[in-house]
Amino acid sequence: MSFTFRLMLRDIRSGDLLTLLLALVISVGTVTSIGLFIDRLQLSFEQESANLLAADRLVRSDDAIDTSWIEQASKQDLQFAERTSFTTMMFANNALQLSQLSAVTDDYPLKGAYLVDEALFGTGQAFTGTPEPGTVWVSSRLASLLNITLGDAVEVGDVTLTVSKFLVRDPGSTTSSFAISPRAVMNMADLAATNVIIPGSRVRYSLLLAGDRENLTQYEEWLLPQLQEGQRWRTPTQKGDRIGDTIGRAESFLLLAGTLAVVMSGVAMALASARFVKRHLMQVAILKTLGATPALLGKVFLQQLVALFIVGALVGLGTGWLIQEAIASLLSSLMSTALPAPSVSSLWLGTATGLISMLVFCLPLMSHLIKISPLSVLQPNAKIEFNGVVIYIIGFIGMYALMCLYTKGFLLPSIMTIAIAGIALLVASIGWIAFKLGRSLTSGATSGWQIGLASLYRRLVPNLFQLLVFTLIIMLTLILVGVKSSLIADWQQQLPEDAPNHYLFNVQANQIESINEKTQALGVEQSDWFPMVRGRVVVANDVTIESMYPDGRGEPELYDRELNLTWSDSIGEGNELVEGDFSAEGLSVEQRAATEAGLEMGDVLTLNIGGNRVTLPITSIRKVDWGSMQPNFYLILPKSVLEDYPANFVSSWYVSDSNAQNFYQTMANFPTVSILNVGDVLEQVQTIIGQLSKAIQLVLLCILSAGALVLLASVRSTLEERLEEGALLRVLGARGALVRQALLVEFGALGFFAGLIAAVGAEACLYGLQVFVFKAEANFHPLLWLLGPGIGVMVITTIGLVASRTVLKVPPMLLLRDLS
Amino acid sequence: MARKTAIKVANLTHTVTSNTGDLTILKGINMEILESESVAIVGSSGSGKSTLLGLLAGLDVNTSGDIHLYDEHFSSQTEETRALIRGQYVGFVFQSFHLLPSLQAIENVMLPAELKGDKQARQKAEVLLEKVGLSHRLTHYPNQLSGGEQQRVAIARAFASNPKILFADEPTGNLDEENGKLIVELLFDLNRSQGTTLVMVTHDNGLAKMCDRQLVMSSGQLTEQSL
Repeated sequence: MSFTFRLMLRDIRSGDLLTLLLALVISVGTVTSIGLFIDRLQLSFEQESANLLAADRLVRSDDAIDTSWIEQASKQDLQFAERTSFTTMMFANNALQLSQLSAVTDDYPLKGAYLVDEALFGTGQAFTGTPEPGTVWVSSRLASLLNITLGDAVEVGDVTLTVSKFLVRDPGSTTSSFAISPRAVMNMADLAATNVIIPGSRVRYSLLLAGDRENLTQYEEWLLPQLQEGQRWRTPTQKGDRIGDTIGRAESFLLLAGTLAVVMSGVAMALASARFVKRHLMQVAILKTLGATPALLGKVFLQQLVALFIVGALVGLGTGWLIQEAIASLLSSLMSTALPAPSVSSLWLGTATGLISMLVFCLPLMSHLIKISPLSVLQPNAKIEFNGVVIYIIGFIGMYALMCLYTKGFLLPSIMTIAIAGIALLVASIGWIAFKLGRSLTSGATSGWQIGLASLYRRLVPNLFQLLVFTLIIMLTLILVGVKSSLIADWQQQLPEDAPNHYLFNVQANQIESINEKTQALGVEQSDWFPMVRGRVVVANDVTIESMYPDGRGEPELYDRELNLTWSDSIGEGNELVEGDFSAEGLSVEQRAATEAGLEMGDVLTLNIGGNRVTLPITSIRKVDWGSMQPNFYLILPKSVLEDYPANFVSSWYVSDSNAQNFYQTMANFPTVSILNVGDVLEQVQTIIGQLSKAIQLVLLCILSAGALVLLASVRSTLEERLEEGALLRVLGARGALVRQALLVEFGALGFFAGLIAAVGAEACLYGLQVFVFKAEANFHPLLWLLGPGIGVMVITTIGLVASRTVLKVPPMLLLRDLS
Repeated sequence: MARKTAIKVANLTHTVTSNTGDLTILKGINMEILESESVAIVGSSGSGKSTLLGLLAGLDVNTSGDIHLYDEHFSSQTEETRALIRGQYVGFVFQSFHLLPSLQAIENVMLPAELKGDKQARQKAEVLLEKVGLSHRLTHYPNQLSGGEQQRVAIARAFASNPKILFADEPTGNLDEENGKLIVELLFDLNRSQGTTLVMVTHDNGLAKMCDRQLVMSSGQLTEQSL
């Protein structure tokens, strides 16, 4: 066995290396467990959302799906299915109706299931499978319009199909926008024979894909460069949709939690390294006097670090894996679906954290360690010459790099780093003033108070450093608590129990009163009706849209399609005026759409409404809460402009489950009215939010435990001096109570100031996070100002007293001998 | 046959920089110590005797002048080479023992031989610990040993590398009279039996008198005198 390993084994026995190893294991373990857990949650969200897309990924095209895409999907080992949707006339009983028909292959849907019913206007049961060839499923509305029921024949082009089920929900269409025509679904095998698709038909072809995430990513990389205009790649969670946003925020939180875990790990590693170096200073000097060369020592420590890294990383990864398994199993009883297995590829993150932590925290300190002069053995008070600034800078850069690596971005790490730097300054100045003041207010050493306060000032620099560590850990905790509470509150507020879950549209003005009466009789609460007129923006500020975007590439949403326009006397629910006057005779534009199109107040738009051109200036800009489940509009026009055009009306309703059957049957009296049930989407969102809230609380708990461990490590790192002082006091005849009181005052003061400064920092950080990362409104968190100092005093005093209990129990002689 | 020169010092000056400016601790020291000779360096606190010992042993680099250990020119070497020379020629006994607290008595004694890659380190250490009367304390840790016992382990360690020169810094400074006496006997016995050159810094005139020569440090200068 080499000298290095013999020395290392002896070091392990003494516990010094174990402290370092423990810090590394905590570091790698925390980051790994959170990383893996987040990965599993993401997979789980993706799977849940995939049910709404009917697939993991989808390619939509205006032209038939290229056979090479299917071949590639097959090569990539992906499951695939096809859906072809188009509007066509359906005939039955001498009646005809324009319908939205989908033809699907047998494997459709790859995720989720159809909701079908045997009864007209039933609420539906999940059904895995597709219509058999020769059959068709029709929506209740289509059935009533054509006056058909199960077993009847329906003609589609040259083919006659038999109605076998009533279609309640198509898994791939719940999130699509209002479809005017009633729906039906048939088997793809019958499509060609119908001869309804002819060149020039408006058809939407979809290729649905499902499979392994890596294969999907490879497929995406292969396909994206080939996509032409009119072809789109869709993932289950898209920015801007409700589920996507909710998950996005949760991911930001988890990312933040993970980042904070990274910072805590860094602090733990720095503390353990400093302790290791401190305890090895004299050992290295002695080894040098015995003839150990700097090169040999360098080799010894490097080998030790490598061995430490290998063991620490392996144990850390294993521990991390077990912790996330434990979290997942705790959560499994609360989740509606089983969490998918984590991907092994996420393990690199923990390994990288460990490696970088060692490189930036251990290596610079170790390299200084081997530079210690052997002369120190003759001058026991000689101190190692540290270039502290360089070490701090390296540590800081390392921490920043780690956070960037972890978040794959710069914003969050930058906010955190600026906050930490600010906190360091604040700690240095407030701590210095407070400790100095404490010292000058007390003189003599007759009470625990005086001794405690005097100790704070005497060990000023180590105490300031400790104060910084305490402050950081408490601050990180407060940030997480703050973000968690506001995030969950925000979600719950977003989705009240009675959020509208049905849209009624395609309603004529003369039907409104009758619908109101009938639904009121059912006890369904009445909603506002919004008139809807179709129109398209054709000119913006005297420039035609066609000339602005000749090939349609990069066209903002406001210009690229026909919009639903409305008029309203008052700014509706979920709308907030940002700029201008809503009642003015002009256009009111939704803020996000205006920004995307580069429009400002005063700009002039020309719209083509039913063949007429209308030109109006923008007189107000609105912010719209798209989560309000109210009908919302990009453009609101003055009543005077729109009232003469024929309008359809739209409204959103909350229909409880118990009322659904009656509601549908009532609406059967209005066969031309379209109903869109978004209850499933809402339920999905509520499920996801529920799971997220629980997951977030567990992750928070996990981080808090890691934080407590770091606090303990920090107290331990300065324990020897405190123990020595305590032992001396006892030798001099001090009672245990006095020593305890002195420790209580010292730790209590450290905890109080740490908590107070942490509250300042957390409040500032939360402001930055809410405004820049979560894009939410900033608010004040009074609770943090109580929690901060409270946690500080209680936790740090407890940890301090528990860690120092030896001073009160062990005979002073033994203690002094051990310490020397 | 004339004895070889173990240590030769010429015009040794050492200056350190402090807050109040440069401070010259050693001023033009010349001396020669022969092989197997025992020399005591005495002097009041702050006279520079520990600094001189540190420089002689190559623990620090002098500002000017020359130090030779046998044929090695110490003062012109890098720390790397000085460490190798120390490993080859030098042993140490310190006032505060300086045993590695994480190592057992036997492991402390094995260290110098292990550093040289000696496979017989353990056997040699056992023999040495037996010589200092601690064969029953092999696996004890320093904090489980008394001061006298710790210093005996330190002496065993010092002789473990078969040093040609032994530097001792106040070897009895932290010990009571009885233990001090024991240690001194051990030190001189081993010194004689191994033919080691002994350079010792001490306050103890009695101990100094046991050496062949006494050098007195005073205000950074060296004078030879009999006590």
